[in-house]
Amino acid sequence: MITTEQKGKLQGAVMVVGGGIAGMQAALDIADSGFYVYLVERSPAIGGVMAQLDKTFPTNDCSM
Amino acid sequence: MPSQMFQPKIIAFVCNWCAYGAADLAGVSRMQYPPNVRLIRVMCSATISTHHILKAFQEGADGILVSG
Amino acid sequence: MDVDKCIACGLCAEKCPKNVDDLYNEKIVKRKAIYVPYSQAVPLKYCIDANQCIYLTQEKCGACEKFCPAGAINFQDTEKKLSLQVGAIILATGFDSFDPSPLDHYGYATCDDVVTSLEFERILSATGPYQGHLLRPSSKRLKKDAGRSPGKIAWLQCVGSRDINRCEHSYCSSVCCMYAVKQAVMAKDHSTGPLDCTIFYMDMRTQGKDFDRYYEKAKRKGVQFVNSRIHTISRAIDSDDLLLRYVSEAGEMQEETFDMVVLSTGLVINAKTIDLAQRLGVTLNPQNFAQSSCFSPVSTSVGGIYACGVLTGPKDIPQSVMEASAAACAATVKLAPVRGSLARHEEIAEERNVLRQEARIGVFVCNCGTNIGGFIRVPEVADYAKTLAGVVYVEENLFTCSQDTQDKLSQIIREQNLNRVVIAACTPRTHEGLFQQTLTNAGLNKYLVEMANIRNHDSWVHSHDPDQATQKAKDLVRMAVAKVRLSTPLTQTGLAVSQTALVIGGGIAGMTSALTLARQGYPVHLVEKSPVLGGMARHLNHTWQGESIPAHLEQMVSDILAEERVYVHLAARLTHVEGFVGNFKTQIADATSSEVIEHGVAILATGANESRPDEYLYGEHDRVVTHLEMDALLRTNDHRLHNAANIVFIQCVGSRDERRPYCSKVCCTHTIKSALDLKRQNPDVNIFVLYRDIRTYGQRESLYLEARQKGIIFSRYQVENKPQVRRDGQYAEVLFYDSILDRNISVSADFLCLASAIEANHDDTLGQLFKVPADGDGWLLEAHQKLRPVEFATEGVFLCGMAHYPKPIEESISQALAATSRALTVLTSDQIMVGGIVSRIDANLCSGCHGCINVCPYGAITYNPEANVAEINAALCKGCGACAAACPSEAVVLMGFSNQQLYAEIKMALCS
Repeated sequence: MITTEQKGKLQGAVMVVGGGIAGMQAALDIADSGFYVYLVERSPAIGGVMAQLDKTFPTNDCSM
Repeated sequence: MPSQMFQPKIIAFVCNWCAYGAADLAGVSRMQYPPNVRLIRVMCSATISTHHILKAFQEGADGILVSG
Repeated sequence: MDVDKCIACGLCAEKCPKNVDDLYNEKIVKRKAIYVPYSQAVPLKYCIDANQCIYLTQEKCGACEKFCPAGAINFQDTEKKLSLQVGAIILATGFDSFDPSPLDHYGYATCDDVVTSLEFERILSATGPYQGHLLRPSSKRLKKDAGRSPGKIAWLQCVGSRDINRCEHSYCSSVCCMYAVKQAVMAKDHSTGPLDCTIFYMDMRTQGKDFDRYYEKAKRKGVQFVNSRIHTISRAIDSDDLLLRYVSEAGEMQEETFDMVVLSTGLVINAKTIDLAQRLGVTLNPQNFAQSSCFSPVSTSVGGIYACGVLTGPKDIPQSVMEASAAACAATVKLAPVRGSLARHEEIAEERNVLRQEARIGVFVCNCGTNIGGFIRVPEVADYAKTLAGVVYVEENLFTCSQDTQDKLSQIIREQNLNRVVIAACTPRTHEGLFQQTLTNAGLNKYLVEMANIRNHDSWVHSHDPDQATQKAKDLVRMAVAKVRLSTPLTQTGLAVSQTALVIGGGIAGMTSALTLARQGYPVHLVEKSPVLGGMARHLNHTWQGESIPAHLEQMVSDILAEERVYVHLAARLTHVEGFVGNFKTQIADATSSEVIEHGVAILATGANESRPDEYLYGEHDRVVTHLEMDALLRTNDHRLHNAANIVFIQCVGSRDERRPYCSKVCCTHTIKSALDLKRQNPDVNIFVLYRDIRTYGQRESLYLEARQKGIIFSRYQVENKPQVRRDGQYAEVLFYDSILDRNISVSADFLCLASAIEANHDDTLGQLFKVPADGDGWLLEAHQKLRPVEFATEGVFLCGMAHYPKPIEESISQALAATSRALTVLTSDQIMVGGIVSRIDANLCSGCHGCINVCPYGAITYNPEANVAEINAALCKGCGACAAACPSEAVVLMGFSNQQLYAEIKMALCS
């Protein structure tokens, strides 16, 4: 692994590994603050475990 | 369905963010329902006033659904 | 699978002969080997399960390729390796639900009606295996079985968590108590008949915001809670009923029969993640969570690699969302100099003026392969469209959304000089953006397109009735044409953003925000009401992981003072705020002067306080102290602690009661941390902790384990039978009932430490200045508890730290980074776009009645007394149109959804 810090040349892109609720939020924030994002997800759709949930507490909102 | 049977005309005002999406999902899931309803998309059900409802009755609607 | 070509028509899955377990539905039902993971999947595209596909495993079949109308399937496609250059990596790899199959005493592998919590989640879901009907799996072994509803369900907590005997997971999974309560409440709601729900637990850990209220509400709704850990589930000999044997709270052996048992399975880091971490060199702790410091909660052991979500420890959704934003912020601090270097900017074609032109409408009717054309007579709809007023061009497409059709559309718009477009196809919710872009490319204002949803709302739901479906399609096209005729071009204008931030509160959270914003390159004003920085952290000793808080604080304060982009205002307060996102003007005053600053965003980090108890002789006896006072004694190495024989802690003092019906979240860990410190200083001291539920959630559970191993005595009390405290000379005598010994106990305590509640500031001055709300307990109320945990409904204003809810330092820091991240999405934009679908007021028609002002949920409308009219701030308007409905004179128009347009749609919907 060579990180940019060690290499000294900065890249304006970030890789996010995992497309669940955390990965999606991280990707959105980074893209919205001026960086290119590669969002990598193992399965064919983003959403992660949250997409399997029926309702969420404490508001009983639908997870979708 | 025999043609002489009463066929109501229904107008549904649906919120873009929820009810309209739900109707989309009903489609994705191939849920069958009677074809009597016409959906009008709005950005929030709060934008529907009595004017819209009276207008729809005036134009001949038999039932109105506001969903959001 | 070529996702650009796939139209998600589902023909491939219909033709696929191979049935396989549906993983989305936890294998309760089957799906095909070519599938969409779930109905709302993004992207909504079919994919092939390579391990199950008959063609890919045996080179036979290939039915999907043959039948795909879009030519999206290519069996010759192979795996490709990409090499990418990135400045940082964020790991958000999540978790697996614990697999209870190896624990044979629960009978999960052998009893159909013993399910995991995730399986139960699917059973409750409308998109689940039983379409949301609550049924026993044993009664649905075959698809045609009618199924029976359960009458009695048990939840077993801590399956795969807090267990070092049967699995090696010493940690608490943090979320299971709360989801079990939710599932029990939901199950009661779903159930058609009466339903008994019982939750068997060790400690109820409902420490999050509003969670205790939810728990109490569940009790009132009749959910039973039994404090017992079940050892074994056995099945009745002649039925699927399940027998549970347990010791009741009164100490009696009980046996009870249930129809279903839900195992509240914990969160586990999976082998693939462990392998990835190893390859990256990221250190995981013995429980396989990423090792991090409480002061940099989203950093890993490798510079440039960050982690968030369950990978850094078990946590719920809001905490994961917060950490995700925090990781985004931390990962980009060092990349700030190259911000925007890889961002793409699009060239925009010059917009054609269509005002005062006669309508020239083009209608494009999509077949969507056979999805529309298979049920609706598209040529008939197209012919009908030609007869409608204003329509000058009509075309049919196989796939209107395909890229080549976009190019063609653009060309036709120019050639035919079209000034309005109707796309009769699928839903605007997924495709409106695409067609708007096409209009923009063709030099037309993007608001001059309207979609008629003849697929989702027509061909798919009336597939048995082609005549009616075709008639409905004509109606929908007629409605869209009538609406688009009345459309006007809408403009969006850019407002410059003041690229300065204001942070209110100089505690750990506020300082973290200020420092990070500065390091991201933006000037910050940090306002603190007291004369010193540091907030509550100045009174604390250690984080739960044992890191020194004073040392970190000192470093942080000196970093703040050295950072030239941070302007610190001490002993100062805000006196006036005006403006909106990107353009606030705020007056800051101290004792002698005041100044007005301009800023684009504001972060509220005003903290909370330790409450003063009014019971247990507090304030009357000098040996009765609070947590912070005990911390001071520990810090100064008070000799009285060294000589003490007995020290007692009482938990939930002023929390989880009628006055403060919430859990203060930090006290259980604080107590155990202090108790361990005391035991270290003075190994002979007896320490008693009197508690209701020990809430050392997540990895803090290791402290609880250590405390019990070190001989600290824990005794549970009931809220209706609280401990009593009496003065006994220099000692405080504590009397309590111990349920395990079944007797009353008296301890003569050298010190009694009260875990007093954390209390909100109850000062709504800031709330009024920024027009942001607080809840009934005084905590600042975020825009959405799950998905927008650091934002207010008012744009440009953010919150973090204890002002939001009590929380430990590491959570305050990650929330502060998260608020910073969200604030950066505003600060990094040169301008904010204002306009489009927003309301406008015709001043000539407005009577100044205030009706619209009262209904606007966003505070976007103000009254201008000079002109006696209401005025809308387009920067704050979200385009809901509530004002338009409230206006008695129809002076308010929601652009793009005017009353004229709605009336036209209504008329056209009903005129056939």
